Amino acid sequence: MIKEKLRRPLQQAYLLRLLVRRNIKNQYYRSFIGVLWTVLNPLLNMLVMTLVFSKLFGDDPTLMLDYPIYILSGNIIFNIMRTSTSGSLPCLVRQRDMLQKTRVSIALFPTANVLSSLVTFLFSFVALLIVALVRYFMVGYTLSWHIVLIVVLLPAIALFSLGISYFLSALYVFFRDIEHLYSVILTLWTYLTPLFYTVERLGSALIKKIMNLNPMYHYVEYFRTLLAGDIPSGMEHLFCYGFAIASFAVGYLFMRAVRNHIAANL
Amino acid sequence: MRQKIQPDPDCLLEAHEVTMKFTRYDVGVNSLKELVVRAFRRDLKREKFVCLENVSFKIHKGEAVAVIGRNGVGKSTLLKIVSGILKPTSGWAHCNGRISPLLQLGAGFDGNATGIENIYLNAAIMGYTKKEIDAKLPDILAFAELGDFIHTPVKAYSSGMLARLGFSIAITMDAEIMLIDEILAVGDIAFQKKCYDRLAELRKKGLTFLIVSHGDAVRSLCDRAIWIERGHVIADGPAGEIFDRYANAMMHPEQGA
Repeated sequence: MIKEKLRRPLQQAYLLRLLVRRNIKNQYYRSFIGVLWTVLNPLLNMLVMTLVFSKLFGDDPTLMLDYPIYILSGNIIFNIMRTSTSGSLPCLVRQRDMLQKTRVSIALFPTANVLSSLVTFLFSFVALLIVALVRYFMVGYTLSWHIVLIVVLLPAIALFSLGISYFLSALYVFFRDIEHLYSVILTLWTYLTPLFYTVERLGSALIKKIMNLNPMYHYVEYFRTLLAGDIPSGMEHLFCYGFAIASFAVGYLFMRAVRNHIAANL
Repeated sequence: MRQKIQPDPDCLLEAHEVTMKFTRYDVGVNSLKELVVRAFRRDLKREKFVCLENVSFKIHKGEAVAVIGRNGVGKSTLLKIVSGILKPTSGWAHCNGRISPLLQLGAGFDGNATGIENIYLNAAIMGYTKKEIDAKLPDILAFAELGDFIHTPVKAYSSGMLARLGFSIAITMDAEIMLIDEILAVGDIAFQKKCYDRLAELRKKGLTFLIVSHGDAVRSLCDRAIWIERGHVIADGPAGEIFDRYANAMMHPEQGA
């Protein structure tokens, strides 16, 4: 009896694992250093961005963190959202042949994308640790124990990304042109989030207020607060989880509402 | 809502007064741009159309049923409803077993993944556990006869090899219902014969078949046919007779059904 009840969740967990593994394999498919890219990619990115932007922003007096660490931390957090949502967007349409014929929970597919982004993040995190070590010898940057609090941040950003992923993957079934629209939105979002600049530098109280409406700003800042050796305020936690729950609720309810239309339109 | 008529426990597949209505924009709106432009022009005419109306049938264990009808009469919609993917507007459908879909050639495969990986992925999407797939793997491999190619990404496969792989998965996993849409016409003759032999063998074993195809090749597999026209079941009976009437109606449309 118990075994029968457990069968379905266990089967779904197994499918999820296969999907995540497939995603990660496809990401670096055929590149000859393979999974090493997941570590190298953010490192090289950071190197380029540091070279380009350190002249512009690197000597910023409002910077509370070593600049290479600042850039890298922002990017790898933002990438969790970026890769999971842009990967999720076409995921239902891509599986349409199977989804037309089998009764499988469609929510599993975007979920797999979010999980594989988290796995990629872990690799990028290794890159961050390497940079932190290098900067320790170069400028004496020290990583504090606060970094373990990342486990508080990750569920929030995962939930936030999952909500958007649900929403986009469902919407894409009806409107195939949102792919282009979303890539523009993502680019805009990247620049509107202080990844290589600081909000303080913009020197406007108004902008800082408006920035509070950008969920990614909170996730990025939360992570940087940890890296600077502080504990984020209760307010920050509220922001991070508030946005996460709101996004998840909207995405989940939307997907549930249009589920039958998805089945009809795929 | 209380269902007055309970599903018949002896039936494997049952549809009871299934009606499906769709709301469609009369000119295909499938992009956001189109929707916005038309909304501005106040040019959004919605049209309700009835895809299926009061469709009822029962399929018992061991039957092999073909669903026939012109393109666009709602056969695929009916299949989706019967397999529980789509909820009908009214009425209900009930499915009392696992469905193994025989997909069109290569559909649902991930090109970058190897044959083996695709076997696991496809079967897992169909709802099988790792243990069940592990147990079936030798049979699948033996039937597909792909040799070492099974470890190559499937994008390097020929269409015949894709058909072999897809067919082997669907035919080996032991589901109660076999769903056959567009029978495979690819693959060499030897493999095709092997497939039909295997299907006939499964028929003898008492597997239930639901087939959507008019091809003569599947005719020998079915013993019953359901003919759908304009959303209604207009004939349901012995396969040979219905197939003949259907072919006749298609050739001489003016005489009516």
